[in-house]
Amino acid sequence: MKSMMKILTRYVLSATGVTLILLVINFAALAAWTVQAGKIAQKDYSVSQLADSLTKSDSVYTLSESLKNKIKKQNQWAMLLSDDGNVIWSENLPSDVPLKYSVSDVAGFTRWYLNGYPVYVWRHPDGLFVLGSKKGSVWKHDIEMPQKVMDNTLVWVPAVLILNGAAAILLALLFGMRLFRSLKPLARGIEDMAEKRTVELSTNGLLGDLAAGINKTSAQLAKQEAALNKRDNARTTWIAGVSHDIRTPLSLIMGYASQLENDPELPQSKREQAGIIRRQSQRIKTLINDLNLASKLEYDMQPLRQDSVALAPLLRIIAADFLNSGLSGSYSINVAMDESVQNVLVTGDEELLRRAVSNLITNSIRHNPKGCDIKVTLEKGFGNCSLSVSDNGVGFTHEMLNNLNYPKSSVELKNHGLGLTIVRQIIKAHGGTTEFRNLPEGGCTIVLCLPVSNKD
Amino acid sequence: MSHICAIMIVVITMNDIFDCKLLMVDDEPELRRMVSEILRREGFMKVISAAGCKEARQLFASEKPDGVILDVSLPDGDGFSLMREFRAMSAVPVLFLSARDEDENRLLGLGLGADDYITKPFLPRELTLRLRAVLSRAYFPVILRRTEKPVFRLGETEIDLNSGMVSAKAGLFTLTAKEFTLLEKLYENREKIVTGDSLCRAAWGDNLYGYENTLMVHIRRLREKIEPEPSAPHYLITVRGLGYKLTGVEDK
Repeated sequence: MKSMMKILTRYVLSATGVTLILLVINFAALAAWTVQAGKIAQKDYSVSQLADSLTKSDSVYTLSESLKNKIKKQNQWAMLLSDDGNVIWSENLPSDVPLKYSVSDVAGFTRWYLNGYPVYVWRHPDGLFVLGSKKGSVWKHDIEMPQKVMDNTLVWVPAVLILNGAAAILLALLFGMRLFRSLKPLARGIEDMAEKRTVELSTNGLLGDLAAGINKTSAQLAKQEAALNKRDNARTTWIAGVSHDIRTPLSLIMGYASQLENDPELPQSKREQAGIIRRQSQRIKTLINDLNLASKLEYDMQPLRQDSVALAPLLRIIAADFLNSGLSGSYSINVAMDESVQNVLVTGDEELLRRAVSNLITNSIRHNPKGCDIKVTLEKGFGNCSLSVSDNGVGFTHEMLNNLNYPKSSVELKNHGLGLTIVRQIIKAHGGTTEFRNLPEGGCTIVLCLPVSNKD
Repeated sequence: MSHICAIMIVVITMNDIFDCKLLMVDDEPELRRMVSEILRREGFMKVISAAGCKEARQLFASEKPDGVILDVSLPDGDGFSLMREFRAMSAVPVLFLSARDEDENRLLGLGLGADDYITKPFLPRELTLRLRAVLSRAYFPVILRRTEKPVFRLGETEIDLNSGMVSAKAGLFTLTAKEFTLLEKLYENREKIVTGDSLCRAAWGDNLYGYENTLMVHIRRLREKIEPEPSAPHYLITVRGLGYKLTGVEDK
């Protein structure tokens, strides 16, 4: 609807513009023509000037030599008729022009032609001054109109102009509508294409070629989409398959290592070695889980639960779990939340959110083996909340920050492994953003911004 | 009625969960061997194993196991449908041991009525703890277990969770119902931080939000009863921003 209004407005405006421009051009042309015609007709003198310059002295009429020459040059002729119809003076008079005229003759030629010569007349003190031009050089027509019509002209001319304008606008509207109607299915087709639906437009009509092009593009896109999906699916299935196959042998490694670790018959050093095998196997298990989750999140194959999650209790339980799991005394975890955020709810998957925050805390612990103070905060904004995990440890290198904040390929295994990638993916899946920063006083902070579901 | 009868019969024939006959189904022979060994070490003497659905069905019919440990993907079928078959015949507890970790699978397993679900790789201890929990739930339900609650000391103060009595130097106190709930929860998680939220859920069935002051009041009253110096608590410690911790517990 909006685009139709746009098209119609554009059409009407351009129609008005065209009308106005044509009017201006026409008036200008008319004016120029009139001036030009006047110039041709006027030459250098008018019949009245000639009549006035014909002077009489001692009953002989004289015209200056220069005027005489001009008349000759232009193949004109002139004569003076006395009141009784006789030619009493003439200049360059052609032979087929009579020398005596009756009143009806005079009446005839004053308006029309004299023997085919176009003539102009002017009153002279001694009679009628007649100036003739070459045959066929001037078209003469007498215009006569009822006075009423002439009076109405002032109304008619603008009325006709307005009518013309209205007709132009109507036509413009009509054409605009037609264009809009033929464009509408195309526009809908392009919209559909953007939303990854297949498009099948009719290829008839003015814009048939365009429609055919859109159909072709849509088919091409659908093909690519299917290929991409297939590849993503294959990748996810492949990762799931590999991790599935690793799980059983890893169970055996972990199981026996754990038994050796707890075997009282073995010397302490061997049991410690078995413990290392057990712990490293557990790390591999975590890696497999991370890899699986990362690939599923990346290709939107992780079904996201949509529960209402209270963040404040979740953060408290995460921090308590870390502290309860025998965290070394060189680490501290502080949770800072004021009264306003105690009831903040977000819609999402509690397990995944827990995973995200836990990954951040684990990251701080792992990269600061000498210990650090970890701070978890929650603040409320307009319609969202920001959850941050900061530490006063070694921080990120410049390169790491770049990779984390502006990831080139989404599943990256650089530096910080999958842990932080998963955090970003989880937060993205919840419609939030993740920001990694170093703190000026040392250490780093990771800010997760999530939309809040209770916006009171 | 039949359910109660079943329990009665089991109670008669079984002295403890280690008398249970367990059926282990997995296609990987090494894993079957390891799990059987783990279970024997733990004290389960009757462990039989099958490599696929067909063998499992035969053993289930002939041996009538008291518990089943099932793999989800088997060469001749899937564990979920096998469990459904077993369940149609008896209410035997089933524990899944699966190499798939997908959430849906886990939910599917539990939704179909599995008693627990463990993903591979697992620690032997994880398996035995869960198996014991599943078996005691099934065969020694709460009503049949001894219901005696613990008695413990905090320094010179003795607390009996059976009677809810606190005998301190200052005298004998009775715990109110809420104080009792809070203390029991803290005792169950002794030496660990218990968040305000889980304390509130235990006492009022709700999260901390809106109960902060109420919780604080109850904790203060509890301290007056169990702490020698309530203003400088030694045993019931506040963990700022998170919750509380009961420490220095001596079990009797």
